[in-house]
Amino acid sequence: MNHADLLSVLLLVPLATSVLCLASRLFGSAAHVVARALHAIGITALLALTIVVVIEVAAAGEVAAFGSWVRVDSLGAIFVGLIGVIGFLTGLYSIGYMNHELASSEVDAGQLCNYYGIFNLFIFTMLLAATANNIIAMWVAIEATTLASTFLVGFYGQRSSLEAAWKYIVICTVGVAFGLYGVVLVYSNGAGVLPHTADAAFWTHLLAHADVLDPTLVKLAFVFVLIGFGTKAGFFPMHAWLPDAHSEAPSPTSALLSAVLLNCALLVVVRFYMLAAASIGPAFPQTLMIVFGLLSIAVAAFFIIVQRNMKRLLAYSSVENMGLIALAFGIGGPLGVFAALLHTINHSLAKALLFCGSGNVLLRYGTPDLDAVKGLLRVAPLTAVLLGAGALALAGVPPFNVFVSEFMIVTAGIHANHTWLMVVTLLLLTVVLAGLVRMAAGMLFGPAPEAVPKAETGVLTLLPMAILLVLMVVMGVRAPTGLVSLVDNATQIVLSGAAAHEARVAQAHQAAVEQNAIPPAPTTALAGRQ
Amino acid sequence: MDGSMVVNSLAAVLIVTSLLVTAASDTARAARLYAVQSLVLVAIFVALAVAHGAEELYLWAASAFVTKVILVPMIMLRALPSLSPQDDLPGVLKPAWLVLAAALIVGLSCYAVSSVHIALVEPLKPALGISLGHFLFGLVCIVTQRSILKQIFGFCLMENGSHLTLALLAYKAPEIVEIGVATDAVFAVIIMVVLVRRIQRTLQSLDVKQLTALKG
Repeated sequence: MNHADLLSVLLLVPLATSVLCLASRLFGSAAHVVARALHAIGITALLALTIVVVIEVAAAGEVAAFGSWVRVDSLGAIFVGLIGVIGFLTGLYSIGYMNHELASSEVDAGQLCNYYGIFNLFIFTMLLAATANNIIAMWVAIEATTLASTFLVGFYGQRSSLEAAWKYIVICTVGVAFGLYGVVLVYSNGAGVLPHTADAAFWTHLLAHADVLDPTLVKLAFVFVLIGFGTKAGFFPMHAWLPDAHSEAPSPTSALLSAVLLNCALLVVVRFYMLAAASIGPAFPQTLMIVFGLLSIAVAAFFIIVQRNMKRLLAYSSVENMGLIALAFGIGGPLGVFAALLHTINHSLAKALLFCGSGNVLLRYGTPDLDAVKGLLRVAPLTAVLLGAGALALAGVPPFNVFVSEFMIVTAGIHANHTWLMVVTLLLLTVVLAGLVRMAAGMLFGPAPEAVPKAETGVLTLLPMAILLVLMVVMGVRAPTGLVSLVDNATQIVLSGAAAHEARVAQAHQAAVEQNAIPPAPTTALAGRQ
Repeated sequence: MDGSMVVNSLAAVLIVTSLLVTAASDTARAARLYAVQSLVLVAIFVALAVAHGAEELYLWAASAFVTKVILVPMIMLRALPSLSPQDDLPGVLKPAWLVLAAALIVGLSCYAVSSVHIALVEPLKPALGISLGHFLFGLVCIVTQRSILKQIFGFCLMENGSHLTLALLAYKAPEIVEIGVATDAVFAVIIMVVLVRRIQRTLQSLDVKQLTALKG
C-alpha cells in the first residue's frame, strides 16, 4: 500500500465506521449489537492503521497524500499514534461502559448507535487535525472536532450535561474563531511573499520561507493562534469549558477529550510556534508559552486541592498538565521540547486510565462526589488498585512515566536558567500531588456504603485500564527505543524553526563582521539564545 | 467612486447591521436583519471581485448567498415555532451602550491594523479594521444576550467578520477552503440550534441565567 492509499484508508475507516454505526439503527431490535460490532471492528482497524503509519514515518521520515494536503511527519506521528492507541482503548472501554448503561436503561439502543457513530466521527476529525498540512484545513478540522463532540458532551440530555455542551460549543467555536484570524494573517502574509501564492496555505512551505514573513504579522498571528487554539487545548484563562465538558460527558468520552483532543489543539499551536520561531526567533513564542503554561498550572493546582467532584478534579489536572507541556515548550532547547513531547504521551496514558477508572466508580456509586465515594478497595478491588496506581502515576510518583517527563521538564528549566520558575513549578506540583493523593486515599479506603454492590464492573471496563497501567510502567522504567527515536526526531523538527532563525542571525552577524561594521561577538552569546 | 471606496462604504454598512442584529427586540427580527447583513457581505465580495479582477470571489459571493442569506436565517426562523414569546429575552445592554461599544471596538481595530503593511490591502484598510471590529463585536453580542438562541447571532457576526477578513487578505486561497469555512459555519449553527431546542425542552427556558448549575 503506498502512502497516499495508507493515509486515505486511515481517514476513511473512522468516517465509514461512524456512518455505518449511525445507520445501524435500521436493524431494529438488533441495532445495538450491529453498532457495537461495527464499532469494535472500526477501532481495531484504526489501531492497526495508526501503528502502520507510525512505522512508515519512522522508516521514511514522513508520509504525505493529496498533494501534501495531508502529511504526517515524526511530530504528527506521535499524535496520530496517540489517537490510535487511546482511541482503541477508550473505544474498547466504551463497549463495556455502554453495556452497563444499556442494561440499566440509562440509554436506549438508538442512543447507543448515535454514541458509537459520533465517537468514530470525533476520532475522524481529530485524525484530520493531526494530519492536516494546509493551515486553513487545520482550523476547519479543529472546529470540526468541536461540532462532532458536542453531542457526546451533552449525551445524557440532563440539565447539567446540556449546560456543559452549550458552554463547550460556544466557548470553543468563539475561541477557535480567534485561531482562524491567526491562520488568515499567516496565509495572507505568505501569499504576498512566497514564490507561488498557492503554497501559502501549506505549513511546510510557510516554514521553509519563514524568513520572508512580516515579523509584526507573525507576532500578531501567533497571539491569535495561541488564544484561539489554546482555548481548545485548555490553557488558562480560556479553559472555562473544560471542567464542565469533561465532567458531564460519558467517562470514555471524557478520556478521549482529555487524552487526545487537547493534544490535537496543542499540535496546531506547536506548528505555529515553530513558524513564529523560524520567522522572529524563539524568544517571543517561548515567553508566551511560559506565561500561559505557568498560569494554567497555578490556577489548576488551586482547583485540584479544593475539588470534591472526581471528574472535575481530573479535568483541572488536564489544565495543569497542558500548562506543564506549554511550559516545557516555552523553556525550549532539545531537553525542554523532548520533555514536552514525552509528557504529552505520558499524560494521555495516565488521564485515559483515570477517566476510565472514574467511569467504573460512577457505575458502582452513581456519583463522582468524593464525599460519597468511599471503600472502593472493598467494593471493586481491581478497579481500586488500577485507579490508585493511576492517581499516583499522574501525581508524578516513580517508577511511573509521568515522573520521568516531569523530572525532565524541571531539569530542562534549570539547565535553561529558569531556576526560580522551576522552584515555583515544583511547589505547584506538590500541591497537585497532595490533591491527587487525597482523592485516591479518600476513595480507596474507609467503609463502603451499604447500598453499593460489591463487584467489579466487568472485563471490558478493566482490561483497557490494565493495558494503560502496563504502558505507563513501561514508559516509566524503559521506554521502547523506537518510540524514543520517534520523539527525538520530532524534537529535531520542532527545533528546526528556531535553528533556521539562529543560522540566519549568525550569517547576518558574520556578514556584518566581514564588512567591519561590528566587532565579532562571543559565540556563546548566540548559542545561549536557545 | 472607485472600487476600494465602495468596499469601505459597504463595510461601514456591515457594522451598522451588526448593531441592529444585536439590538433587535426579538429573534425573528434578528434573523431577518442578519440576512440583510449577509447580503451586504455578498455585495462586498462582488465589489472586491470587480476591484481586484478576482474571479474566485464570485464563487465566494455565491456560496455566502446560499449559506448566509438563505440557509442560516432559515434555520434560525425554523427554530422559532417551538419557542414561546417569553423566550425572546431582551439583551442586557441598551442600544446607546451598544453603539458606544461598537465605536470603541471599531476605532481600536482600525488603529490595530494601521501598522499592517500588505500592499494589496493598503486602500482597503478601513474595511480591514471594520472586519476585525465586526469579529470582536460578535463577542459583545454573545456576552450581552440573555437568550441562548440570540447568542448564536453573536457567533454568526464573528463568523461574518472573519469571512470578510479572509476575503480581503486571502481570497486566492483554494476554493475548497472557502467552501469548508462556510460549510463549517452552517453546521455550527445547525448544531447550536438543535442544542438550543433540547435545552428549551429540558429547562423550559432559553435564559442564559438558567445555565449556571456547573461551578468550581
